[in-house]
Amino acid sequence: MTGGAWLCLLAPLVGTILILLGGSWLPRAAAAWIATTSVFVAFGGAVWALFGVRSSAGHQGEITTAWTWLESGSFHAGLQLLVDPLSAMMMLIVSGVGGLIVLYSIGYMDGDDEERRYFAYIAFFVFSMLLLVEGGNLLMLLVGWGLVGLSSYLLIGFWHERPSAVRAAKKAFVMNAFGDATMALAFFILIAHTNSLSFGVLDAHLSSTQANLVALGLLGGAVAKSAQIPLQTWLPDAMEGPTPVSALIHAATMVTAGVYLIARTHPIFEQARTIELIAAGTGALTLLVAGLIALVQTDIKRVIAYSTMSQIGYMFLGAGVGGYANGMFHLMTHAFFKALLFMTAGLAIHALANEQDIRKMRGLGRVMPFTKWCFLAGALALVGVPPFAGFFSKDPIIASTLNIGWYGYVFYACGIAGAFLTGLYTFRLWFLVFPGEPSPFVREHYHDHHGREGAWTMLVPVGVLAVLATVGGWIQWPPLWEPITHWLAPVAPTLAVAEVSSTQEYVTSAVTVLVGVAGIALAWAVYSERRIAIPAAPFWRRLFENKFYFDRLYDRIFYAPSAETATFLRREFEEPVVLQTGPDLGEATLETGGFVRRIQTGLLRTYVLFLAAGAAGVVLAFLIAK
Amino acid sequence: MNGLVLASAGNVLVWIVWVVAAFSCIASGLAVVTFSNPFYSALALIGNLASLAVMYLLLSAEFVAAAQVLVYAGAVVVMFLFVIAYVGPRHETPWSGGPGWQTVGAAAAAGALLVEIVVAVGMQASGSLAHETEVGAAFGTPAWIGRIFLVDHLLAFEITSVVLLVAAVGGVILGSHTRRTA
Amino acid sequence: MLGPDTAWYLAVAAVLFGIGALGVLIRRNTLVVLLSLELMLNAGNLALIALSRHWHNGAGQVFALSVMAVAASEVCVGLGLVVALNRRDLSLDVDTLSELRG
Repeated sequence: MTGGAWLCLLAPLVGTILILLGGSWLPRAAAAWIATTSVFVAFGGAVWALFGVRSSAGHQGEITTAWTWLESGSFHAGLQLLVDPLSAMMMLIVSGVGGLIVLYSIGYMDGDDEERRYFAYIAFFVFSMLLLVEGGNLLMLLVGWGLVGLSSYLLIGFWHERPSAVRAAKKAFVMNAFGDATMALAFFILIAHTNSLSFGVLDAHLSSTQANLVALGLLGGAVAKSAQIPLQTWLPDAMEGPTPVSALIHAATMVTAGVYLIARTHPIFEQARTIELIAAGTGALTLLVAGLIALVQTDIKRVIAYSTMSQIGYMFLGAGVGGYANGMFHLMTHAFFKALLFMTAGLAIHALANEQDIRKMRGLGRVMPFTKWCFLAGALALVGVPPFAGFFSKDPIIASTLNIGWYGYVFYACGIAGAFLTGLYTFRLWFLVFPGEPSPFVREHYHDHHGREGAWTMLVPVGVLAVLATVGGWIQWPPLWEPITHWLAPVAPTLAVAEVSSTQEYVTSAVTVLVGVAGIALAWAVYSERRIAIPAAPFWRRLFENKFYFDRLYDRIFYAPSAETATFLRREFEEPVVLQTGPDLGEATLETGGFVRRIQTGLLRTYVLFLAAGAAGVVLAFLIAK
Repeated sequence: MNGLVLASAGNVLVWIVWVVAAFSCIASGLAVVTFSNPFYSALALIGNLASLAVMYLLLSAEFVAAAQVLVYAGAVVVMFLFVIAYVGPRHETPWSGGPGWQTVGAAAAAGALLVEIVVAVGMQASGSLAHETEVGAAFGTPAWIGRIFLVDHLLAFEITSVVLLVAAVGGVILGSHTRRTA
Repeated sequence: MLGPDTAWYLAVAAVLFGIGALGVLIRRNTLVVLLSLELMLNAGNLALIALSRHWHNGAGQVFALSVMAVAASEVCVGLGLVVALNRRDLSLDVDTLSELRG
């Protein structure tokens, strides 16, 4: 099984290296297929690792060490990989969905000038994400964490001639760096207390202050990476990257790393229960706020981005109350249907010559039926309508909040309200874009790809994911059959407070579905049949459109003072002092030279004078020495 | 007269001769440096050389004194006079020209050298200048010097002759007409 | 020894040397510079002879004779230079021969 882990990790890295070495001699198609093949090979390795874990006793998993990487006094950190149920599940999701998305990008990025760079980056991203989930100690996890942030930066800013893309990349990186910093601080506390960063340290008994600090630091990293409030502002801007990048990084894998982190380090969070509940609260708040903002977005990708933010809020909620398996299961189904949604949106964008404004896209379903039905499957999965995938994963999360106390009821209410909003904004999107008569814009700009809606490399993954979005949830239906919960039990057992009775489960499911369908119905009434007008509500509209003013707030608190300080320093210090040093030194040297030059009079008498004076000096020295 | 009176009379005579010779030596030296007409400077040099020859005689160096008059005053100064006459009249104010610090620096350097020599000699005065040795009659005679040249300092003798040869050749080359380049 | 001590002769030599040095440093006419140079050489000779007499060492007189020979050769070459300068109608002013000016 450890062989599978190494294969899974290294295959995409080999792919990246091959593409980089090939440079411009490598044909573009070759680069694309190298990347795709490497990720599918990784998937094979993940399957191998999965079977290895299944056959091992107690499904405990194993750590494999390549060599000692860092050694400082008594602190050791090895180059280690961990293969256990949790990491095997993540490996499958990352490499499986990742492979499909890389295949999709062959068609999507075809013809781009810098295709090879794209595939090198995306293979590198898959490698980084796998390092993150396979990391055998906290240090390797942190390395993977950082590399994933780097890949995200590189890929968001892929079209680097666009200033908006570059700004978005920087924003994402800086906000993630904040999370990296808090995580590093948490690790410092762990090292100070236990002198180790291996996963055994998670079971160490920490004092309550230490546990709270460590958990807070870890939560900071998770919140930054997963774009939860208050560090969520980078995710919508990250849509500047190519659509496959949005699908892979900002829907299926990287942004879910925060959930994985909580599941992995859950012993520490359980020692700091308050922080864990704060994580759940953050998730609850984010899922509401994101849902509200999604209602007024006009860019198709941004709607889906806010939807991602909202669904990750659900995952945080589930993991935060102690139902780690619930959170991970929703992570899995979300990967399926969110990637599907992004990829179908990508088909639409591609067919309409890179137009992303949904107000122009009415009636697209008439000319792109395959896209329409796949998007519908994803939308229904997202809303949680049975038998689609989301139904099975979302409801247990909402239900699990019932037994933890009065705030559990608040979370429950948020979850239900969120389900309503999900139905509303998702089907607002669907009704605005797909059904009905094609708009003039669509008629004018739609062009197909040799008679089909897209290249086969794009259509096949979309189809596969549509199937997975439909049936992928059937693997677990609490409380009837729960293979995933049992699978993860050795490493991430669900807390007792998160266990719910069957009655609570069924009731919650029913309520959620009803609420979701109500949202769909409202969307149909407003956006399709125009029976109800969109309410004016200028205050709320402005609030949502300005994304709750988070961007303005951060600009004022962080960016403006920094820019002021920088300008001030440049004006007062850098220009007069630092930059002047060069010219000043030069001038001083010239002046000294000019002064010394006067000794060279050219007169013989002067030189003889120096001779005589020198002789006098030497004699003087001798006399003194005597 | 007894030996002491003779000796003291001889001593007084030597002192008088020495004072005259020293005075004229220094005076002619100053003359060489200060006259603006180089012809007069060269003539002053003859005076200087003559007084030096007198002092050499007082120091029992008869051969050197004779050589001084023959070689220096007879040959070197005559050469100077030839060239001065050939070059023509040139008058120039001695102290002018050059940057301001030149004159002051020169005076300072020369003064410093003088002071240092005096100090050096003064420091030695209590040391090795204390005991004089008596010299015999043969001291300073040509035979005596000749023996030293050819026995103790033969190398110096030979090298000096080579130097003279080189100087003669150099002088001829420098003085020859400029060649016409073909 | 009759007459003044060796120290007096050395004092005269020192003063003569100083005067010669002053002349070399101050005068602008090449010929006068050469004459001052002769002064300095003679001063050295005087010191040599005086000390030779003091220590009854003949090497001093021999050295003085060598100095005389070398001085003669040096004057020969120096005057040759002056003649060459004059033949090319160059000034004999030491200050104008300043191609090494910085």
